[in-house]
Amino acid sequence: MALEKELATYKAKLPDLKEHQGKFVLIHGDEVVDYYVAYEDAIKAGYDKFKLEPFLVKQVSVTEAVHQFTRQIIPLSSERAA
Amino acid sequence: MLDMVVSASMPRLMALQAAGQPSPPIQNIRALIDTGASCTCIDPTVLVALGIQPTGKTLVITPSTGATPVDADTYDVCIVIPASGNQQPLVKAVISVCATELIHQGYHALLGRDILKDCHFTYNGSAEFFTLAY
Repeated sequence: MALEKELATYKAKLPDLKEHQGKFVLIHGDEVVDYYVAYEDAIKAGYDKFKLEPFLVKQVSVTEAVHQFTRQIIPLSSERAA
Repeated sequence: MLDMVVSASMPRLMALQAAGQPSPPIQNIRALIDTGASCTCIDPTVLVALGIQPTGKTLVITPSTGATPVDADTYDVCIVIPASGNQQPLVKAVISVCATELIHQGYHALLGRDILKDCHFTYNGSAEFFTLAY
């Protein structure tokens, strides 16, 4: 599954991340690299540091945001595909 | 519906260039403006053509998921909505989009409120046209 390790790191370290609520965290493997105010900056830092290796950028939130769609669509996830 | 251009995000293109790898071709796609979509979605056929990997995951609720959100992979891309004449195009150099099967509905993308929030969108139903200003 893509980003499996990074997502596990995010979940495991979420209590420590709370003080960065709203910022975008960059995670590579089991390493929490840094926090960024803007999504664009986190993505740029990810490619700068890790080139084409997988990395995760996620907005820190104790209550995870949910995207809403009124249209019937099929969201894709590598987790469900695995 | 409108036409837009999607490519790998600028930071990824620079990483590809640094690694000596070719840039994937840009994709000219059709998008449906959807004020009921809180984020922009792109069909996986487009994402595969761009050769990109997910850099995030988010929760999604649709009419079929009921009250329980499901995961969706997110990808960083660059989106350009061309403008007519000498007007400036709308450029999102790095934006997160959800992977969603759409091609069977006749378009490649849903243009959601994450982009519309930076536009002035009007729909004139009786005259059968819309305008999108940015």
